[in-house]
Parts: sequence; structure tokens; C-alpha cells
Amino acid sequence: MKVKKTKSLEANIPTASMADIAFLLIVFFMISTVFQVDKTSVALPTSHADTRHEVVKESAFVIITKDGTIKASDGVEDSQLVNIEDIQILAASWMQKRPSQPVVIKADGDARFSHVDKVLKHLRDAGVVNLKFLTEQAKSD
Amino acid sequence: MSLQQKKEEPEIPTASMADIAFLLIVFFMLTTVFSANKGMEHILPPKEENDDVVDPQEAVYIQIFPSGQFTMDQTSYYIDDVEKVYEYVNSKVQVNAKKPIIVDANPEARYGDMVAILDQLKLLSAELKQDLAITIPTPEERELYQQMRQ
Repeated sequence: MKVKKTKSLEANIPTASMADIAFLLIVFFMISTVFQVDKTSVALPTSHADTRHEVVKESAFVIITKDGTIKASDGVEDSQLVNIEDIQILAASWMQKRPSQPVVIKADGDARFSHVDKVLKHLRDAGVVNLKFLTEQAKSD
Repeated sequence: MSLQQKKEEPEIPTASMADIAFLLIVFFMLTTVFSANKGMEHILPPKEENDDVVDPQEAVYIQIFPSGQFTMDQTSYYIDDVEKVYEYVNSKVQVNAKKPIIVDANPEARYGDMVAILDQLKLLSAELKQDLAITIPTPEERELYQQMRQ
């Protein structure tokens, strides 16, 4: 008896669930995306893991480079160069919009303390309470 | 003769859905910055508290110098021995939990040195599960403290 040859199935990759997987990934990236307001590279000082806390979304930033250049951002727009004397006015406007506005100091570890000191004074005068010193994790941890 | 047309089933074309989705993925992957931003918390005192100056004689007074040295209540250390801050302040705080700690950094000192000392204090604060009374004086307060200490 002649055995009838079975009809060969056409090979294809199932792509129906591809979109589902892709959308899952999109949701993950959408949630974890934080748009960076400042891209200045500074050598941050280090601190231990136990003392480091996550920066809250939309925190205002004050950036101090090694040579004392000051930049600021309200946490929404990109950071811009500012005069040290203008920090108080800027910070006051942030506080007016959001009284609990957290402010992050992103300063170079080799910067002179006087630059940071002046910024701290202006922030305090503007009524800033919630402050964070941005650090990197110490290597020993 | 009746020509019967074969009815086509209606369906939404989903072939390009994955392409669109992957385009969006690429966008979010490129713009994502994982929130690796972490820092040390510090609460600034309200402006009105200016008159309420702590007596530096009663506080743990840490002075940081541009040379990379610091003094704790008159004893001098190098910044490499920053762990000494933890031990010393711990011994003081065990006796009086509300002991004020003043971190007075010289304007010419490294900001990194100040952060290193603050790190030790925050580490102790986390270990003891209580907030320490840490003050970073303003330039005016610093002058006042130095006058009071003389």
C-alpha cells in the first residue's frame, strides 16, 4: 500500500504575543524613566549606603563645579548657569510654587566649601528646609 | 445565475503594532535614567531660629581645615581618620542624646571633607535610629561661635 505523504506545515514564528511583550516593556520603561535635568559631570563626594536616600522626583537642583560655577534647575527644566546672588530669588520662587520643595546640592567633592556655604545661606534665607547632598556610594560598601 | 461573493471577515491589522511598540521601547530605553541619584538628607533650620545660637562649649565642635585636618573639641585628626568622628560623637551622644553637634568647615576647606564628616554623623544617626542635632553654621554664626570659644 502506498502511504500518502503528509502535507508539510508551513513554518512560521508566532508573533501574536510580540506586541504584548513590547507593551509590557514600554510600561516598565515609562514608569522608570526620570528625565535628567542636569548633565554636568562633577566628581561627587562619597558616603555610605546607609546614609544615602533616593532623590525625590522633581527635586530642584543646585550644581556647584570644582571652579565654583553655579547652575540651577527647578527640577522640571534643564539646569542653567546662574549667579550665586540669584540663588535666593530662584529658591524663593521654587518655595512659592511648592512649599515643601526638596533641593539637591550636586557639588564637586574638590570644590571649596565657601561656594557651598554661600549657596546654603541663600537657600536657608529663601526658606528651604528639605536639603540633600548628592553623593556616590563609598567603594568599601 | 447568482454570483455569491465570499464574505471577508473584518479584522484590525495588527502586524505593525509590534513595530510601533518597539519604536516606543527604543525611545524610553534611550531616555531612561535609572534613579541612581541618591544623597544625604539634611534639614536646614528655619530662618527665625537665628537668635537661638547653641553654646559651642556645650556642643561637640568639629572644625574642618583646608589642610585636610579636622579638630574635634580641640583634638586634631587627619581626614583619613574620619571614623574617629563616629566613635567620639557616639560616646557623647550616649550620655546626652540631645547633644548639639556643630560642623564648622573653613571656607577654604574641601567640600568632600565636610561630606565625609557629615556621613559619619548620619551613619551614627541611622545606627541609633534617632536624629542628631547637627548644625552647619552660616558664615555669621561661625564667626560668633569662634568668638564664643575664645
